[in-house]
Amino acid sequence: MGRIEKPLRTLFDRSRPYFEKGRRMERLKPFFEATETFFLYPAIPVKNQPFIRDSLDLKRYMSIVLAALMPPFLFGIYNTGFHARNVSGLSTDFMSVFGEGLIIVMPIVIVSYGVGLFWEGLFAAIRRHPISEGFLVTGLLFPLTLPPTIPLWQVAAGITFGVVIGKEIFGGTGRNLFNPALTARAFIFFAYPVQMSGDRVWVAVRDTAGNAVDAVSGATPLAIAALADPKARIEAVFADSGYTFQTLFFGNHIGSIGETSTLCILIGALILLATGIASYRIMAGGVIGAIATGLLFNYFQSPDLPAWFSINPVYHLVTGGFAFGIVYMATDPVTAPGTDRAKWVYGFLIGAIAVLVRVVNPAFPEGVMLAILFMNIFSPLMEYTETRLRIRRRIPNV
Amino acid sequence: MKNVSIKKSLGIHVAGRPAPSVEDGPAVSSVAALPDHIPLIKPRLLVKKGDAVNIGSPLFEDKKKPWIRFLSPGGGTVTDIEYGHRRAITRIVIETGETEEHEAFEPVDEKAAKGMDRDQVIDAMAVRGLWPLVRSLPYRTIAAPDEKPASLWVCLDPADPFQVPSTVYLKGNEPLFVSGIRILERLGVPVYVCESEQVPVESPDIRAIITHRTAGPYPAEDPGVVLYHTKKSAVENRAWFMNGQDVLLLAEGMASGRYPISRIMAVSASGNGSPAVNRCVKTRLGAPLASLLPDPETARGRRWITGGLFRGQTAEPDGFMGFYETSLLLIEDAADPELFGFLKPGARKPTASRTFLYALHKKEFTAKADMRGEERACINCGKCEQVCPVDIMVQFAYKCVYAEEIEEALMHGLLDCVECGLCTYVCPAKIELAEALKTTRRAYYEDRI
Repeated sequence: MGRIEKPLRTLFDRSRPYFEKGRRMERLKPFFEATETFFLYPAIPVKNQPFIRDSLDLKRYMSIVLAALMPPFLFGIYNTGFHARNVSGLSTDFMSVFGEGLIIVMPIVIVSYGVGLFWEGLFAAIRRHPISEGFLVTGLLFPLTLPPTIPLWQVAAGITFGVVIGKEIFGGTGRNLFNPALTARAFIFFAYPVQMSGDRVWVAVRDTAGNAVDAVSGATPLAIAALADPKARIEAVFADSGYTFQTLFFGNHIGSIGETSTLCILIGALILLATGIASYRIMAGGVIGAIATGLLFNYFQSPDLPAWFSINPVYHLVTGGFAFGIVYMATDPVTAPGTDRAKWVYGFLIGAIAVLVRVVNPAFPEGVMLAILFMNIFSPLMEYTETRLRIRRRIPNV
Repeated sequence: MKNVSIKKSLGIHVAGRPAPSVEDGPAVSSVAALPDHIPLIKPRLLVKKGDAVNIGSPLFEDKKKPWIRFLSPGGGTVTDIEYGHRRAITRIVIETGETEEHEAFEPVDEKAAKGMDRDQVIDAMAVRGLWPLVRSLPYRTIAAPDEKPASLWVCLDPADPFQVPSTVYLKGNEPLFVSGIRILERLGVPVYVCESEQVPVESPDIRAIITHRTAGPYPAEDPGVVLYHTKKSAVENRAWFMNGQDVLLLAEGMASGRYPISRIMAVSASGNGSPAVNRCVKTRLGAPLASLLPDPETARGRRWITGGLFRGQTAEPDGFMGFYETSLLLIEDAADPELFGFLKPGARKPTASRTFLYALHKKEFTAKADMRGEERACINCGKCEQVCPVDIMVQFAYKCVYAEEIEEALMHGLLDCVECGLCTYVCPAKIELAEALKTTRRAYYEDRI
C-alpha cells in the first residue's frame, strides 16, 4: 500500500498549489479534487458536534449503485455481442461474444461518460462546487437504456440534454426535478424516434470491414404484443416468436442494452436492498401497481381490445424496461419523494401508469420511462402532502 | 412510574467508557470560568485582571438579566481574562491561593426551605449562583423566572456514553439529592425525576421520588426527548430541566451557605484508554483539563472534547471545564488520507447503514473525529429522518432553515429538536444538520427575547 500511496500523495501535494485561488488552473479545482479524493480518500477533521461521523458518504453510496448496475451491464455486453454474432452466423463462444459486445457497447458508455463529465465539470468549474458522484451513475444508466445501434453523436446529444437541462439548470445534484438519465433518454426517444424504436435498431452488426455498425431487423416483445391478434392468447404469441417466460426472465433476447435480463436486474435490486441504498417501498409499490393494473385490464379483456389486455400481469414485470426502470430509475432518491408513505404511492403509480401506457396507448410500445418522468413531476406534491399530514400530528411548538 | 421508550434511534458502540469508580483528583493551582460555554447569555465582567476573589465572589453577570450572576469557582487572584471572536469573553482564569476563602451566604436548612415560596427560592438560588443550573426547554438556556413551565425534569443519566453514571455521583449523597428535589418542588412546578433502564437506582429514598423510567439508546434520557414523548398538549412545551449531579450542588449550596464547587467528572480516552485514564474523578468546578489525566503529555495530538461526544466542543489541552460540563474525552483526530478508502469492504468502518461489512458484526469502535467523506448536496435519502428521536423530518426542516423559512421550520418541529446530533452523524452528504438547526433556533431566540 505504502508504495503506491506515498508517491501519489507527493504528486497531489505538488500539484495542489496550481489549483489554488489566483493561480492559472484555479477553475479546474473541482477536477483536481475529484481525482485526488478518488485515489486518496480524504481525512477531514470534524469541527462541530457530534464528533464522530458515519462511514457512509456519497462516494460509497454511489459506488454501491454502480456495483448493483454491474450484473445488467455485463450481461448487456454479452447479450449485445451474442445477437450481433448470431444473426451473422458467426460462432457464439463466450469470449468472442463478449469481445464483440465490448466493441459495440463500450464506445456508447465512453461517449456518455466523456461528454457528461465535460458538462458536469464545466458547471462545477463555473459554480465552484465539487463534482458530484451521482454523475457516475447517470453516465452508466443512460447507455444501458439505449439500443445497441444508437449513433454515438446521439448519445452525446442525449447525455448533454440530460445533464444540462435535466439537472444543472435546476441548480445541480439534489435540486433536479427529473431523473437526468431518463431525461436524456426521453430527449433521444422523441427527437430521433427512428434510431430509438421500431424493428431495425435492436441488433448491432458490424460488416466485414470490421468497424461500421449496421442493423438488421428484429422485433422486441413489446412490438410483438402491440401487433398481436386480439383473439390469440398473447403468451402463446410470445412463445411462438421465441419469447417464452424463461427467455424474458433470463434476458437472452434483443432490446435495449441493459434492460433485457430481469434476473440480472433482480440481482442488482438485491444488492440495493441488502445495503439499504434503494427504497424497497418504491420497488414493491411499483410491482404491486403493475400487477394490480394488469389484473384490472384482464377483467376488461375482450376480442375488440388489443391483445395486451389479456396478458398475465407477471409478464409486465419481465418485458421491456419495467424491471430496469423500477429498480434503478424510480429509486433515485433526489427525484423520488423522501417520505415513507409517499414512496409507496409513488412506486404504485409508476407501475400502474407504465402498464396503462403499454396496454392502452398504441403510440408508445413502452411506458416505464414516461411513467417515471410523469411521477417525478408529482413527487414534490406527494412530499408536500405527506409533510403536511405529519406536521398536523405534531403538537405545535412555536 | 411512567415508561418512556425510544426505539427509533440507533445504538452507537463507542469503546472506552469511564469505569464507575471515583478517584480524588489532584489539588489544582488554577481554575477558570468559561462564559462562552453558557449559551445565549451576554456576559458583563464584574472583576478585572489582578483582582482578589473568594470562592463565590461574582465574576460576571448576564447583561440582559443582571440578577443572574456567575460566581467564582476558586479563591485567589484573577490572573487572566481571555477574549475570543468579537471580544466575547472566553476565559476568566483564577490562580488559587494557599488557603481559599469562601464567600459566606446564609445557610438554608431543610425546614427553612420548606417555608419558602417560589420567589424566595429563586432569589436564594440566584444569590448563591445556583440559578443557572436550572435550564429551560426548548432553547436550553438559563430558565427565566417569569416563565410558566409545565414541568421540571431531572434526568439522572444523560445517555451520552461518556457522562458520569448516576450510580457514581449518587453514592453516599442520597439524602442530599432528595433534599435538592424538595427545594425544586418549592418552585411550584411538578418535578419529574427520570431514571434510565440501564442504570437503575438502588436507593429506596430516591426510588420513591422517581416518576419516569426511560428505555432505549442515546438520546432516550434527554429531558427534551422524554418531554416530547410524554407531552399531551402545546402548554407543556415550556419546561425546565436540571442535570442529576447539579441537584446535589443545589442542595449543598443551599444547606452549607457556601458556593459548592465539588464536581465528579468522567474522563475517558476512546481507543487506547487505560483504567488509569477511563474513570471518574472527583475534582472541582472549572478544573484544568490536564489535571484530570494521569499523564497529560501523552494525550497531546489527540482531540480533546469537553461536554460529551455528541454535544460537546473541542477543547485545548490547556483548557478548563465549563460550568455545565462533566466529561472530558480524548479521541483520535483525522489523520491520513486512505488509498481508495470508499471501495474497501469496511469490516472496521463503523456505520449505522448496511453499506460496509461492519454492519454484519457491530462491535465497539474507537471514536475518531473524522468526517469520513466530503460535504455534498442533500440527495433526500431520508436517513436523518429515520434516526430523529423526536420525529422531525430533518431533511425538510433543514431545507426550510436553508431557505430562511423560519415559520415553516417551526412547523416541522425546530423547537422540539434536542440537539442530539444523530442526524448529522448519519448524513451521507456530511451536512451539518444539527448545527444548522441549533444556530437557527438560537437566532430565533435572540430575535424574540
